[in-house]
Amino acid sequence: MVMRMAKVAIASVVLIACGASLPPPSDDWAAAQADVGRAQSGGAPSVPDAKLHLQLAQEDLQKSKDLMDKDNKRAASLVALARVEAQLALSLAKAASAQESAQQAQQDLQKAKGN
Amino acid sequence: MKSMRAVLVATLAIVGGLSACGGERLPPKALSDARDEFHRAKTGIAIQFDPTDVHEADLALQRANQAWGDDPDDPNTIDLAIVAQRKAQIAEAEAQTMKSQRDAEEAKRQLQELMSTQLLSARGQLNQTKQQLEAEQRAAAEQRQRLEDLERKLKDARDTIAKIAAVKDDERGMVITLQGEVLFSTGKWDLKAGAMAKLDQIAEVLVGKEQPMVVYGHTDNVGTHDMNMDLSQKRANAVRDYLVSRGIPQDLISAQGKGPDVPVSDNGSIEGRASNRRVEIVVQPKKS
Repeated sequence: MVMRMAKVAIASVVLIACGASLPPPSDDWAAAQADVGRAQSGGAPSVPDAKLHLQLAQEDLQKSKDLMDKDNKRAASLVALARVEAQLALSLAKAASAQESAQQAQQDLQKAKGN
Repeated sequence: MKSMRAVLVATLAIVGGLSACGGERLPPKALSDARDEFHRAKTGIAIQFDPTDVHEADLALQRANQAWGDDPDDPNTIDLAIVAQRKAQIAEAEAQTMKSQRDAEEAKRQLQELMSTQLLSARGQLNQTKQQLEAEQRAAAEQRQRLEDLERKLKDARDTIAKIAAVKDDERGMVITLQGEVLFSTGKWDLKAGAMAKLDQIAEVLVGKEQPMVVYGHTDNVGTHDMNMDLSQKRANAVRDYLVSRGIPQDLISAQGKGPDVPVSDNGSIEGRASNRRVEIVVQPKKS
């Protein structure tokens, strides 16, 4: 219900705002999908923060697909958004993993000092 | 969550649309969030570790600001603002990764250093122990060698003496027995020439051994006891004096006449009496 309201709102504004015809952002869409794939294999699903942005990326990607050829400008904007969401998901997953490694290294050091 | 941003975006879009004809407008929340996030990146660890991504975020924020200035009602403006915010967040996350990696490397380096220090110290202790052990083994080997040398010398000495005199061991030490006939003429106490040759050889072996010795004179039971005591003492003295003249230290050698009191054979036969007339040199174990 809420979703539909939002979509209607966006669509109405978009329809008024942009009339220019642009080519569909197919290449960018593929790149965004690759970014999502990297985030998925880079551990994003197992890090809560990263998982959230991964979901947003997938959501934006889907919305962009739905708008393709209907409103290419808006579709391109959403693809760009999907890309940064996916990239952020990967960055957060990497940061969590690096932090874990650093903690482990610190623990190893403290343990060795204790001996 | 899925719908949260959609609602936010829609609300802003609607608000934007409604107030399109108004005067000065506040920037949408997405844009002010992006500005806040960029400020954090610009002043936090992101600029320190990942200036490239901070620059990217800066460019994205400029585009969002530009878009909002150009057309506040364009929904893409909101997207651009979110892109800018995400780029600032990426810069911060990447910087966090780099900082963690640096911390991990530093911890690993310290661990390596600590372990090599511990290894060196253990190796040093091991070396020291090994050297001590080797020194002890060397000392033990030297001690063993000295004992062997000493035993060999004693044996050599004994073998040498055994060629010219009867040698036996009893509780007093090594006993060298020389027959009276070999040393003295009947009733006399001056040494025969042959006796001196034998005593020379004995002295040669015993010189430098630093073993105390006693020369005992013995007789048979022919004649008075007093006379025999006197004769045996004089004969013992003669042997002692001769050995001293050949290099045996005076303070290590004494002489004692036993007369007929300590026979080794029956005085009833000629052979027995001959055996009893004798001089014994008792070489005592070295005082240590």
